[in-house]
Amino acid sequence: MAPAKSSKTPVASETSVALTTMWKSYIQHTSDRLKLIDAFLVFIMFSGIVQFAYCVLVTNFPFNAFLAGFASCVGQFVLTASLRAQVNPENRSEFNDVSPERAFADFTLGSIVLHFFVYNFLG
Amino acid sequence: MVPRITFHFIWLVLATCVHAGSLSLQNPRFTITSSTAAQLRTDTLSLAEKPEPLKLGPSDTLKFTFQITENGEGKGVQPHQTFLRFHDSVSGEEGIQPVRVTPGGKAKFELNMARPPPSLPPTADRPLEVSLILGSFVHEPTIFDLFDLYVPPSHAPAPHPDEAKFHVLPLIHHTFRPEQKLPPKFVSVVFAALVLSPWLVLLGLWSKIGVRVPHLFSPRIIPFTALLGAFEALLCWYWIDLKLGEVLLYGGILAVPTIFAGKTALAATGEWRTGKN
Repeated sequence: MAPAKSSKTPVASETSVALTTMWKSYIQHTSDRLKLIDAFLVFIMFSGIVQFAYCVLVTNFPFNAFLAGFASCVGQFVLTASLRAQVNPENRSEFNDVSPERAFADFTLGSIVLHFFVYNFLG
Repeated sequence: MVPRITFHFIWLVLATCVHAGSLSLQNPRFTITSSTAAQLRTDTLSLAEKPEPLKLGPSDTLKFTFQITENGEGKGVQPHQTFLRFHDSVSGEEGIQPVRVTPGGKAKFELNMARPPPSLPPTADRPLEVSLILGSFVHEPTIFDLFDLYVPPSHAPAPHPDEAKFHVLPLIHHTFRPEQKLPPKFVSVVFAALVLSPWLVLLGLWSKIGVRVPHLFSPRIIPFTALLGAFEALLCWYWIDLKLGEVLLYGGILAVPTIFAGKTALAATGEWRTGKN
């Protein structure tokens, strides 16, 4: 058991080192605009998690409201992630024809349609 | 032509004369025999007075013979229609049985209770009134009340195959699922706070990042932002009050200025981004 224990500690430390490096790199090299979008993605994710937890732990009644709320989180997350991918300068080569403004226009149109369906489901 | 008309006229006169005649029965006689061919009862019928009621067992046979004559004379005639009518005066049920009469006016009717005819009405322990109906084109129609007849009670009629469908069905009791309950108020409040808490995370992160919106109130940007806000307000209104057709109409109307405002705003943003302006 002793060797396993000794080998486990370096793995854990390597993971934490990797995570720290990644976090620092993210903080240093990511533009504020992308961070803005990332913060919004985190917000959506937490909203969805709490709603899902409520549905599982407490009740799914009214179910249509849960569906609307959770679907709005999932849909908005997809739209925002897609916006982030298109406005990221590092992906410029992949989205050569799509300007950030065009991506934002798509994002707003998609959001309005999504919200229409969400309100429709809300009951 | 004249002789032919005269010929028809003579026939008409003759028919009128014959019409005046009436039909009568000669030698009406009945015999009841058992299944072993033993004669149980035999008698001549008197049309003036009904005899003692006739009784037939389950396997007995009634034979009834008579001759139809005109005006009580010996010459037999064949009426156009001859029927025996079996009538239950209490239940109102009746059965009509045609009788074959020879051209000489003689007729013979046989009722075998082992194989009763379908025309026999349903019977109980009451007697059936039996009468003879004679119909003719050239004689007065006649009815003779012959006798009362006891026959064994008929079986209960077989139920119709669809009989079960014509009953009142048992009352339908609907079982509904119990009304779903809302959770306790405390749990609702806690989870409402939890659902709203990501807003704090969002605002915290944005303030940490340091969001700057220098052009938000620019005259080229603010119409687009306001119209997007109007869209969200319209959808919220749809949730509260509006019908689908109304929201589609208003949304369509709102879409036109939004498209132009968006084009202007995003073009301006593009210029700022590329540093043209």
